[in-house]
Amino acid sequence: MDLVLQLLFTGIGIGAVYALVALGFVLIFRATNVVNFAQGEFSMVAAYLMVVFSVDLGWPYWLSFLIALAGMALFGVIFNLGVYYPLRNRTYLPVIIATIGASILLSNSVLAIYGPQPQVLQGWFDTPGIQLGPVYLDSQYLLIIAVTILLVLFNFWFFEKTLLGKKLQATSQDKEMASLLGISVSTMIMITFIYSAVLGGLAGILVAPVLFVSIQMGSTIALKAFAATIIGGFGDVAGAIVGGLALGVIETFGAAYVSVPYKDGFAFLVLIAFLVFRPQGIFGERVAEKA
Amino acid sequence: MPLLEIRNLVVRYGEIEALRGVTIAVEQGQVVTLLGANGAGKSTTLRAISGLAKPASGDIIFDGHSIAGLGPEAIVRLGISHVPEGRRVFPGLTVKENIMLGASNRKVPASQISREADAMFDLFPDIRAFSNALGWTLSGGQLQMVAVARGLMAKPRLLLLDEPSLGLAPVIVQAVFRIISQIRKDTTVLLVEQNARMGLSVADHGFVLETGRIVLGGKPDELWGNEAIAAAYLGGHAKAHA
Repeated sequence: MDLVLQLLFTGIGIGAVYALVALGFVLIFRATNVVNFAQGEFSMVAAYLMVVFSVDLGWPYWLSFLIALAGMALFGVIFNLGVYYPLRNRTYLPVIIATIGASILLSNSVLAIYGPQPQVLQGWFDTPGIQLGPVYLDSQYLLIIAVTILLVLFNFWFFEKTLLGKKLQATSQDKEMASLLGISVSTMIMITFIYSAVLGGLAGILVAPVLFVSIQMGSTIALKAFAATIIGGFGDVAGAIVGGLALGVIETFGAAYVSVPYKDGFAFLVLIAFLVFRPQGIFGERVAEKA
Repeated sequence: MPLLEIRNLVVRYGEIEALRGVTIAVEQGQVVTLLGANGAGKSTTLRAISGLAKPASGDIIFDGHSIAGLGPEAIVRLGISHVPEGRRVFPGLTVKENIMLGASNRKVPASQISREADAMFDLFPDIRAFSNALGWTLSGGQLQMVAVARGLMAKPRLLLLDEPSLGLAPVIVQAVFRIISQIRKDTTVLLVEQNARMGLSVADHGFVLETGRIVLGGKPDELWGNEAIAAAYLGGHAKAHA
């Protein structure tokens, strides 16, 4: 039982990272109808920004964190203007290829600067964790879970309670009608890219001390996050979060009880099972909402 | 000077010429109805006015200024609100949210927009009870009410209504046209209708479109008195041209 609780904690911690990246996937997909294959590189770039500011320049952790997030917001702007905006009136295919191209460009640019050896980033806290009864709570996982909870609450408030959130939803449901009402569609898509880049960046910075900072970290996280969106129900915000958490828990338990080397395999087994037996995911794709 | 003047408007979709030189004028305070068969170019005319379709040539003058070539976001800010074919109510937003977003062309605080949306239910009492229902759950008549209410939230000087009666039961059609006759007190309306009888019943002026050209224009009485239009709408004449 103690082990179950311990694994549950770790699983939710890593699942929260998948959930954040998955949320970024879904938000961009809903706004542009395109899967952003560079979503994982958003996390990777942010983790390397942390390495630049916190390790290389030796700035305080919190300052590096804020600057890295601001940098990700700017990155979202540049990504939108450079990758999506020039192709916005084309079909989805050129846009998808452009995001794949951006993904390759980003990881190879970082490779050219930092080389293939992984970098190490310290966690936010000096204390490694606390013992709570039978469960050891790692401080970085605690932080990840806390930040994810706050972001999910923020996300709900933003999309359900603010007029700007409603405009973003309207744009993702019917761009032409949104423009007829005077909603600036290009501004809404810009906001979506900024928000998704910051979400992905946050996930990268939070998970970096747990993993290593490497050019592959983006694709690993993105693959899991993509699986999470399908498990949760593609295009569904709640589904992305639940799918991410579920995937984190499943792979952690699989690693502990079955086989560590096949840890990643469990995630994809679950993905395949969903694709075969419930392709609409846990929450299903509410077809009417996509009309 | 007319509020809206369209001169020799040509719109092409690829090779197809949807409008081949349309000229109409809408005076301030009028309800003007565009009649015509399917594919005559009625919706395209509205889409060109609201900026969804780019004119190939010709001009669209609103309140003395050319708006041809402007984007839809800019045009609605000038005071032209387009309630398009098919209602296009956002399916995943509630009725009230849909209506509130109609004010996106104006810079007013959210609290005021919310009050104005509530006031809109006085004009559309049938949808008040569905204020918190999601768009996709509504019936065709309710969707039409929401679409018109949303269009009015822009406080337009010119309201473009595309086929408001399409697919609705006769009793609902009458309710929609009662609303149009109320709207006309404050707003100029350009109405597109296939239902000629209903369309002309509220109109000050009517135009008949056939295959991208205006073939007739005049007061409702004159149009009804015209043998060609009577033939077009009571016989098979218009279909032969469409």
